[in-house]
Amino acid sequence: MNQVQAQLSKHKWLKSVLPISLLLLVAAGATAYFPRSAKGGVLATVTAVDPGPRPLPANAGTFLPSLSANEQQIEPSITTEFNRVHDVVVTSPTDGGLGPRFNSNSCASCHQYPAVGGSSPPSNPLFSVYQLNGATNTMPFFITSTGPILEARFINQPGTTTPDGNVHQNFTVVGRSDAHGCSITQPDFTGAATANNLVLRQVPPTYGDGLIEVVRNIDIVNNMNSNLTTKAALGITGHPNYSGNDGSIQRFGWKAQVRSTLLMAAQQMNVEMGVTNETFPNEIDQTPGCVFNGVPETVTNFTPGILTEMFPGDAERTEYFIQWMAPPTPGPSSPSTNNGKTQFTNAGCVMCHTTSYKTPPTSRPALGNITIKLYSDLLVHHMGPGLADGLAQGGAGPDEFRTAPLWGIGQRLFFMHDGRTNNIVTAIEDHFSLGNSTYPASEANQTVTNFNNLSSKNQQDLVNFLRSL
Amino acid sequence: MRIDDSPIQAHAGSKSRRHLPLYLATAALLAVSLAALMSRPPVVVHGTLTATDPGPRPLPAAAGSFYSALTPNQSSITTRLTQIFTEVNFVAGGPLVKTVGLGPRFNSNSCSSCHGYPSVGGSSPPNNPLFGIYQLQGATNTMPYFITSTGPVIVARFPYKSDGVTPDGGVHQMFTISNRTDAPGCTTMVQPDFTTAQSNNDIIFRQTTPTYGTGLMELIQESDIIANMNSNLSLKASLGITGHANYSDDDGTITRFGWKAQNKSLLYFAGEAYTVEEGVSDEAFPSENDESIPSCLPPFPVPAGTNKTKGVPDDRNDTGEAPKAPVNFPGDLERFSLFMRFLAPPTPVAPTPSTSNGFVQFQNVGCNMCHNVSFTTPASSIAALSHVTATLYSDLLVHDMGPGLADNVKQGNATGDQFRTAPLWGIGQRYFFLHDGRTTNIVTAIEDHRSFANGVYPNSEANTVINNFDALSPTNQQDLVNFLRSL
Repeated sequence: MNQVQAQLSKHKWLKSVLPISLLLLVAAGATAYFPRSAKGGVLATVTAVDPGPRPLPANAGTFLPSLSANEQQIEPSITTEFNRVHDVVVTSPTDGGLGPRFNSNSCASCHQYPAVGGSSPPSNPLFSVYQLNGATNTMPFFITSTGPILEARFINQPGTTTPDGNVHQNFTVVGRSDAHGCSITQPDFTGAATANNLVLRQVPPTYGDGLIEVVRNIDIVNNMNSNLTTKAALGITGHPNYSGNDGSIQRFGWKAQVRSTLLMAAQQMNVEMGVTNETFPNEIDQTPGCVFNGVPETVTNFTPGILTEMFPGDAERTEYFIQWMAPPTPGPSSPSTNNGKTQFTNAGCVMCHTTSYKTPPTSRPALGNITIKLYSDLLVHHMGPGLADGLAQGGAGPDEFRTAPLWGIGQRLFFMHDGRTNNIVTAIEDHFSLGNSTYPASEANQTVTNFNNLSSKNQQDLVNFLRSL
Repeated sequence: MRIDDSPIQAHAGSKSRRHLPLYLATAALLAVSLAALMSRPPVVVHGTLTATDPGPRPLPAAAGSFYSALTPNQSSITTRLTQIFTEVNFVAGGPLVKTVGLGPRFNSNSCSSCHGYPSVGGSSPPNNPLFGIYQLQGATNTMPYFITSTGPVIVARFPYKSDGVTPDGGVHQMFTISNRTDAPGCTTMVQPDFTTAQSNNDIIFRQTTPTYGTGLMELIQESDIIANMNSNLSLKASLGITGHANYSDDDGTITRFGWKAQNKSLLYFAGEAYTVEEGVSDEAFPSENDESIPSCLPPFPVPAGTNKTKGVPDDRNDTGEAPKAPVNFPGDLERFSLFMRFLAPPTPVAPTPSTSNGFVQFQNVGCNMCHNVSFTTPASSIAALSHVTATLYSDLLVHDMGPGLADNVKQGNATGDQFRTAPLWGIGQRYFFLHDGRTTNIVTAIEDHRSFANGVYPNSEANTVINNFDALSPTNQQDLVNFLRSL
């Protein structure tokens, strides 16, 4: 190649690249300026409006109707357990144990709406918890009176590049009248946020979890391997998050990081309330002066003559409560919601938000051979930089999340893992995000684009369908 | 006895010198690869190894009793707990007793078959119990090549999936319920191909760990484990010892059970083992361990009036049945965990001048920098476990153990060559040593702690300590070994 040719080709290169770069610049500018409209494809318009959550009464919160008479007999005691407000000092095998660090003082304070067992209520309950009994906590900046209940995780241990990933509880027992002499400080959430080290997660509802936990692994895998052409065209892959313990598929938590209702209940007792139990027997913070009880704080109760269901610890009773909650009941269908369901399928939502699984035969008959309409494949998917929270959990990467089950979202107030929006249309649009140098594009991009390309009526019907669940 | 090919005798370098220079390079290469294969590279001789293993102390068992400090209410259920730990699980059928749910894949059919020696709750007995189990009820299993009648009970894990790249790490159960008379209809589930896995160098083994004293280990405070990790740092540095904790992804606390300290608690461990080892799905891990063949899954078509599991989980609490005694309410996994929690640590024999000197040497050479003598438990809601000094000889940390012990399986943050410091209490009556039960000789077990870095894994953190041991006088070496056999 001689000099002239080289210059010519350079010219050609400039000629062809300049307009493209200009176009890209304009597009990027437009994206920044009109985030929603540009995100889902330039031509489409999002006209759908979120009708908002369906009003009370709750469409959820009852026990499975087919539980046996003996099981029904213990429903009151497991409900009491789920509602129990824990103070610090243990005075009987079923109370106390709060802290030294905690996010709240009872299961039901966060799992509350639209009924006990659910998720965040409209008024944030933490404001009546954080300074209870004289506690001197300040409210973290990310908790607002009408916002979702959120817990914080740090990506790295503060000030280091050592991976952390753990929950850092919002509050401590310092100042409480039942925690004299304890001196620890709340985590530096502001510093963590400044250092881009703060991850927030909201409360998932528990309805139907006893059915989700028994779905066969092989059914999840078979569903993953179905409709491969459609999925490929949409850019959808997804994979299970497997347990390192028995190799089965985990299903609970925003990244499908927990296997069962028992492990979930036990983990939450320690992580959210600081109540050590027989599965997680060690205090998360053992600062001398802040440990007020022998560990574990809830244990098998050996009192003679005790009721059978009071024999195991609180974690097991909490497990039964979660396990026996029936799924939410959808609202009545209408021509709009029926068409919305069709559009939900047509746009491709259903390729991740799998309509249903059937539970296998179970040893507890109330849970077996039931078709559960959860709208989730129970897999984790890349959701792009827009949702990525930087935290890997098990086989779920830092930008991967479990397909959130949609049953019950008709009465849900906050959406996405960090509760970033209460608008279900925004939640749909937030599934779209383009890849960057760190994370690939969201697997939902084409589906959200398809949604945006729907007619105004079809868009609205789809949203109405979601609000009917 | 493996002691005959200990590194002191096997000096591969001397042979190559006799070859022509032309072949020197080849010979050296061979020697290196041979050494690598044997995990016994030629080493600088620090001393002569003369100690011999007196062998396991004979029965009666120095372990297996419950804490004498249990409350009367706790003591009153120990008989029932022992029954549950020793119950034999069938697939289905038989009398209406609650012992069904085995398989479809399993390693054994009861906890105590493997946790059997020197008493219920322990580890591998001298005669392998699997020979009495694998073809029970007409099962058509063949015995895997790695199980021998006088060898340890071991389970197989495949480090990688069949592509040889993707990590697996899971247990692949030895046996299936195919053709068992209590599994009517299940005939086609085949055992894993262990021989091919072996030829692909993709199989590793783990033996049974004893459960005595685990109730204390479970409660030891994180802050004490970390404080011990951060003590004696200059001595540890001079020995090449570091180590770190393995943490739970669930609550961020230190995990401490299993060969890589991968398990958090006795309840968690019981839940895992029930479904992994016996195929009895439970409330912690509710899936059957192979769902691929419908006729091998419950409910099995057994006659009315006989026992069967109706489905998953095979075992659960008894909420659905008629009211029972409280101890019969929770699932087996809760009762297994109570059984283990209530088992006292093994009782060492009374010290002799030899064992007393052995304990001094144990500390002098640096064994105790990992095999930390004791921790004291914090206040516990279970009085018998409260403020107890647990003389377990472990720091509950994981350490790099070099290519010689590495098994290429990563669990939590324990990497392919890292293992938990195995607690030494009770090894006086132990038959098989190290994670894969590779030796019955405690002197070989000591020597096997030494191995040198290769391209994949760093040096074993124990290398200097083992050199120190080898450099001891014959009396001191033997006293140290006698001390270990007194535990």
